[in-house]
Amino acid sequence: MKIELAGEELWLLPEKALYWPREKTLFVADIHFGKVASFRAAGIPLPPGSTSAALARLTRCIAQTGARRIVFLGDFLHSKEARAAQTFERFAEWRSQHAGVAITLVRGNHDDKAGDPPAAWNIDCVDEGEVIGPFCLAHHPEPDLRGYVLAGHIHPAIYLDGPANDSLRLACFWFGAYVCVLPAFGEFTGTYAVKPQAGDRVFVAADGEVIEIRVPA
Amino acid sequence: MSAAGKRIDAWFLSKGWSPFAFQREVWQAYRNGESGLIHSATGTGKTLAAWLGPLMEGASSTTAPPLTVLWITPMRALSADTRESLLKPLTEMGSPWTVGLRTGDTPASERAKQNRRMPSALITTPESLSLMLSQPGARDSLSSVKTVVVDEWHELLGTKRGTQTELALARLRRWNPALRVWGLSATLGNLDQAMQVLLAGAPGRLVEGVREKEIVIDTLIPREVDKFPWAGHLGFAMLEEVAREVDAIAETGGTTLIFTNVRSQAELWYQALLEARPEWAGDLALHHGSLDREVRDYVESGLKEGTLKCVVATSSLDLGVDFSPVSRVLQIGSPKGVARLLQRAGRSGHSPGRVSRVTCVPSHAFEFIEAVAARKAADRGKIESRRLLQKPLDVLVQHLVTIAAGDGFVEEELFDEVRGCYAYRDLSYEEWSWALEFVVRGGEALKAYPEYRKVAWEEERFRVPDKAIARRHRMAIGTIVSDASMDVRYMNGSRLGHVEESFIARLSPGDAFTFAGRTLELIRVREMTAYVKPAPQNKKLVPRWMGSKMPLSTELAMSLRERLQEFRDGKSEEPEMRAVARLLKVQRAVSRIPAVRELLLEQLESREGHHIFVYPFAGRHVHMGMAALFAWRLGQIKPATFSISVNEYGFELLSATSFALNRDLIGRMLSTERLLASVLESLNAAELSKRHFREIARVAGLVFQGFPGASKTNKQVQATSGLIFDVFARWDKDNPLLAQSQQEVLERELEFSRLQDSLGEMQKQRVTVVRASRPTPFCFPLMVERFREKLTSEKLADRIARMQTAFDKVAGG
Repeated sequence: MKIELAGEELWLLPEKALYWPREKTLFVADIHFGKVASFRAAGIPLPPGSTSAALARLTRCIAQTGARRIVFLGDFLHSKEARAAQTFERFAEWRSQHAGVAITLVRGNHDDKAGDPPAAWNIDCVDEGEVIGPFCLAHHPEPDLRGYVLAGHIHPAIYLDGPANDSLRLACFWFGAYVCVLPAFGEFTGTYAVKPQAGDRVFVAADGEVIEIRVPA
Repeated sequence: MSAAGKRIDAWFLSKGWSPFAFQREVWQAYRNGESGLIHSATGTGKTLAAWLGPLMEGASSTTAPPLTVLWITPMRALSADTRESLLKPLTEMGSPWTVGLRTGDTPASERAKQNRRMPSALITTPESLSLMLSQPGARDSLSSVKTVVVDEWHELLGTKRGTQTELALARLRRWNPALRVWGLSATLGNLDQAMQVLLAGAPGRLVEGVREKEIVIDTLIPREVDKFPWAGHLGFAMLEEVAREVDAIAETGGTTLIFTNVRSQAELWYQALLEARPEWAGDLALHHGSLDREVRDYVESGLKEGTLKCVVATSSLDLGVDFSPVSRVLQIGSPKGVARLLQRAGRSGHSPGRVSRVTCVPSHAFEFIEAVAARKAADRGKIESRRLLQKPLDVLVQHLVTIAAGDGFVEEELFDEVRGCYAYRDLSYEEWSWALEFVVRGGEALKAYPEYRKVAWEEERFRVPDKAIARRHRMAIGTIVSDASMDVRYMNGSRLGHVEESFIARLSPGDAFTFAGRTLELIRVREMTAYVKPAPQNKKLVPRWMGSKMPLSTELAMSLRERLQEFRDGKSEEPEMRAVARLLKVQRAVSRIPAVRELLLEQLESREGHHIFVYPFAGRHVHMGMAALFAWRLGQIKPATFSISVNEYGFELLSATSFALNRDLIGRMLSTERLLASVLESLNAAELSKRHFREIARVAGLVFQGFPGASKTNKQVQATSGLIFDVFARWDKDNPLLAQSQQEVLERELEFSRLQDSLGEMQKQRVTVVRASRPTPFCFPLMVERFREKLTSEKLADRIARMQTAFDKVAGG
């Protein structure tokens, strides 16, 4: 799905990522890498699989778009405990397969505690407020005078009510007047139901498609 | 007779009592080293029967013996009262025994004192007992226990808390093979089984307590029976009668206890009574599980002292404490089950020689028949059995970590111990291995993931090496999982109680709701607290609590069918049946009253479409499953969309498509072939299991609710059970906990076994299909039930009124 924002064309991918073709840049929020591993370290036995699945989706995004750069909008690593051997090996392997792609991490609240990724991964770590073109890169969705903010953090979702008490809760892209919030990219991440206001645009990623949800005026 | 026996006789004499034969029987059996179960409807004398045996044995000691008796009670709110009744004979006989409490409310300093020196008898809950087992050195502090008394065993039986108790008892038996276990229980349909579970299959003595004193079950019958509603839930048609009855009881110096079936109904009745009798303010109180502990304590002490005129309550007052001043119990709405009604009746006349009396207050006409049905079933001893749990794996997983965190375990030993429990007697070695593997390596799927660690083999035993993990486990011990709830407070911070989070989530600031007997306005929600202020009296919105839809029991439903049969045969004599005679005559005129072994179906055409009504009399849970199943099976024949409505007696399928209800079609509907698969397909079973998984995830330690005032690190390992369910469903779909979730949902929400039995019964019944030209008294409540979903309350009222007028014309003729 293509939209125009701040004079730029952007693609909304059903993989829950945002792509900016002019700069060949892929934006991904809240991947929460190693979240499952940190649960395990706390004695909660979750099965493996979600890390590989997230990386596979990331690979698909790159293949489909030909992205040259990925910007992680915060919460790349879930916690200190996420720095577990298998998780790290898997990402290192993935990184070596995509060595030509530049990666930037805008540090989020989880990254502050988890620490920056290993230098060997060649990830450029920056704080919130970095500007490219009309966009201001952040993790927390707060308006910024320096540009239209691309952010994550809240894992937005929207409730849809259908007939016969049918209801759905779907992760969504949420575009406000000054800030866009991306859905959480990670597999094992919860969602927070948002209440968009008139004038906002909301898109859900469901069943391999991106669908716009009309927000009542 | 021993010296101690003489002392006890002397004590009885000093009280002007003499021991009951059953008490002597228990003492003798106890002396012989036996275990057993004591049952009777109400509490008189059971406590002394169980307590004095150990006391006699220890009477020769001049100093307080070490921990000898564990007294397990299901409600910590009861523990203080229990202590009083245990202490009384002690002090009066001059015994050196000490009695202590250990529940979730016991302060840490007190616990530490106990750890240095345990009292001779300790009153505790299943959770606190497991917690003691999870402490290193558990064996040292508990192996001196000679006797365990499990109070209110019927409350624990058939629940995960009961299974947890079984597992703890097995541990105590290992440490003391001569352990004597005595249960105290209300009357149940399966007492033998109840004892087997408690004693892990070992032989024991079943002792009947005082022969049931007389229990009267009657009904409040309004003067104008003909205007009585045919449908509805609240029962306000009886408000004036109820108020008059309470006044009449108060004149004789008695207190009335009014039971409702759900909390919201209790709230509404409390308010309605106050509006009808403003002068009762201060003498009328409200009691339910969501109210703040302080409020409940205040009401309970008022009941004990007889300072209140009337209390409106829910099941929160079903148990325990002796409220002698209560002279009458009123039951608003369906009694639901025979045992439950008897239990509630037993809250009145709570001293020897007095009569227990419960008066049913019907909320709609059919409940007149339910009252007779309950009375007759009680007369004939047709009491419900408690369904037992089969090897719940989540409880096992929790128990393994509990024991590992305590003194640790060796596999063979604990496997034998667990298999010795009645609930796990069929546990296969594969299932056991899965559970052990799950806590040690996180299951097959995690073999290669060393960062997972919970239970590990260290120093010749399975233990929990990480102190933080052990601490977290202890915080989470237990199987009670309540709905996520939110505190309700005034802006000044004073707390009123708690309500379901899902309810508050539906409100916006400014909305009003009734709670704690007040009408409140929501101001704002912050950090799991709903701040409120008193609302103006004009707008009302009632909280809806979940878990309130308890179905009509099989025993009561059967008795109800027999009452209908009697009516057919012209043999009804009870005043309740006279009150409902007019309605039944209309039913007979426009349709049919089914015989005991007859399945009635009604068909009706209306502007809404084609209605099919089926009356299996199997309770609302079964009807829900059956309605979905029938709709799904009909839909296989011809595509159609259905609206479904259910109640305790039957269900309705409404569709724009018509079906010819011939023998062949009905046979296909009632088929038990591929039943499980069809039920799973017809309902959104995955969605139901996912919701239910919350409990299993919590018990099995997959979600951690956090310490009070949790630090940030804990937040990073918190996830919703739904999220965890999704991870398992996607990456480990054979995990037995998922299967357990599905099975529990089927039994608890749909009563699958009962559904299967009912279908089997229905196949054998004679089927009658009536094509009704107008709504019948049987189908009317089902249509109303559905309207409620679709229309606003005002239109609903109009519509009901209109329909009832139409009926009146038929009946008047």
